[in-house]
Amino acid sequence: MPQFKIAAVLALAIILQLTLGEAWPRLSHIDFPLIVVVFVALQRDAWTALIVGTIAGLAIDAPSGGLIGAGGFSKTLTAYLVYLGATRINLENALIRIPVLAAATLVDGTVYFFWQRSLGHPPSAPFVQTISYNLIGTTVIGTFVLYMLGSVFSPKGTQSRQFASRRRGARRSTSFSKRR
Amino acid sequence: MAATRTQKEIRQRAPIWLVMLLFANFVVMAVDANERFEQEQKFKGITQAVISPIQNATSWISSAGGGFINQIINFRSSARENAALKERLAQTELELRNIQEAKTENYRLQGLLALHSEPGPEKVFARVIARDASVWFNTIMINRGSSSGIALNMPVITPGGIVGRIVAVSPVTAQVMLITDEKAAAGAIVGQLGRSDALGSVRGLGNSGLVEMRYVSGLQKVEVGDYILTTGQDGIYPAGLNVGEVIEVKNGTATQPHQIYIRPSARLDQLTEVAVLLYQPPQRPAPEQTLPNVDKTKPPSDR
Repeated sequence: MPQFKIAAVLALAIILQLTLGEAWPRLSHIDFPLIVVVFVALQRDAWTALIVGTIAGLAIDAPSGGLIGAGGFSKTLTAYLVYLGATRINLENALIRIPVLAAATLVDGTVYFFWQRSLGHPPSAPFVQTISYNLIGTTVIGTFVLYMLGSVFSPKGTQSRQFASRRRGARRSTSFSKRR
Repeated sequence: MAATRTQKEIRQRAPIWLVMLLFANFVVMAVDANERFEQEQKFKGITQAVISPIQNATSWISSAGGGFINQIINFRSSARENAALKERLAQTELELRNIQEAKTENYRLQGLLALHSEPGPEKVFARVIARDASVWFNTIMINRGSSSGIALNMPVITPGGIVGRIVAVSPVTAQVMLITDEKAAAGAIVGQLGRSDALGSVRGLGNSGLVEMRYVSGLQKVEVGDYILTTGQDGIYPAGLNVGEVIEVKNGTATQPHQIYIRPSARLDQLTEVAVLLYQPPQRPAPEQTLPNVDKTKPPSDR
């Protein structure tokens, strides 16, 4: 898996998270960085998953009002748990990824809330309501995003894109020769 | 084999990396929590300074994107509001029109009421129910007929003046020939009866909506703006009814009468209610048919 692609996708997810939430607060219930973390963890690359989890969490923690590191902790832990699951159970099926995504959202939200509360900075938003909205938003949108990421990162997808570009090139050269 | 070993190593080392990263996160958390407790916020300040350029960029993007989305949302709400306001405006216009119609009707009915209290022949009030559909005649249909006492040749008036005469009667409706019809005519005088000698007769000019006064001596003084009244000599209209106002005079000479054009004072194009005068003209004595030198004392058989 090319590392720069993951970095780009992670950066895009962080930007989306910071941008969409500001434009329309309801969209902040979709945790784009968590979706990327889950996707990377499902690739069974532990080191990358853990690093992505930490960076994603810290990147969102820094501008937020919560404790810095709480998100990093929760996402790192979530990434490891998903990685652990992926190494023991076959999670290649797209439908099975839906409960994985839902469970990841629950774990991430619960751990984050736990640390905030334990260290004396409980979030002002109600826990059950917020985590429910997060669950719905992240699971629904995340299912599509995971599918898209899967097609972008899969070798088949890369191969078909390469073929498509070759076909386009061939068509162009054919039409050019016909005009002549 | 090497790759398998690497995977194995990764798997074995993953918990260690996890613990290390979690610990690092925990340390960051603890430092941040401690600083917040001591109200120093240095660490948070540093991280925010680092992330602020990204935040600025994302804020700019979100404000631009959000502005665009808000504009779209506002367009939709504006369109809805616009439709609602249009509907309200239409309703208000309708209400205003109804009020204006009611006001106009009130004026008309007040006029008719005044007409009702005026002395003179008995009146039957009727509503105009139709106008002549063809362009050939100037007639209207009213909703009163012979059952209300209306008969042929009865004059029809409004508070403004004469409208015409009854030319056809059914039990419940009657047809009125307007004074502007080319076949309509009435005896008239310029100015008040008894104070003027400018006698003549008015006749309709068809679709122009005007009437013409004829046979007024060219020696009489007639001016634009003079009022024309009925004389009662035509056997249809009683004397003293308003016909209209002179709008144009083509002066005549000692041997040639004036040509006078009159605009009827009853607004014939906007008629809605009229009054039919149950007027019976005074019976004229039958003209003498016999020769003057015949002895009238003898019976006709002896002559």
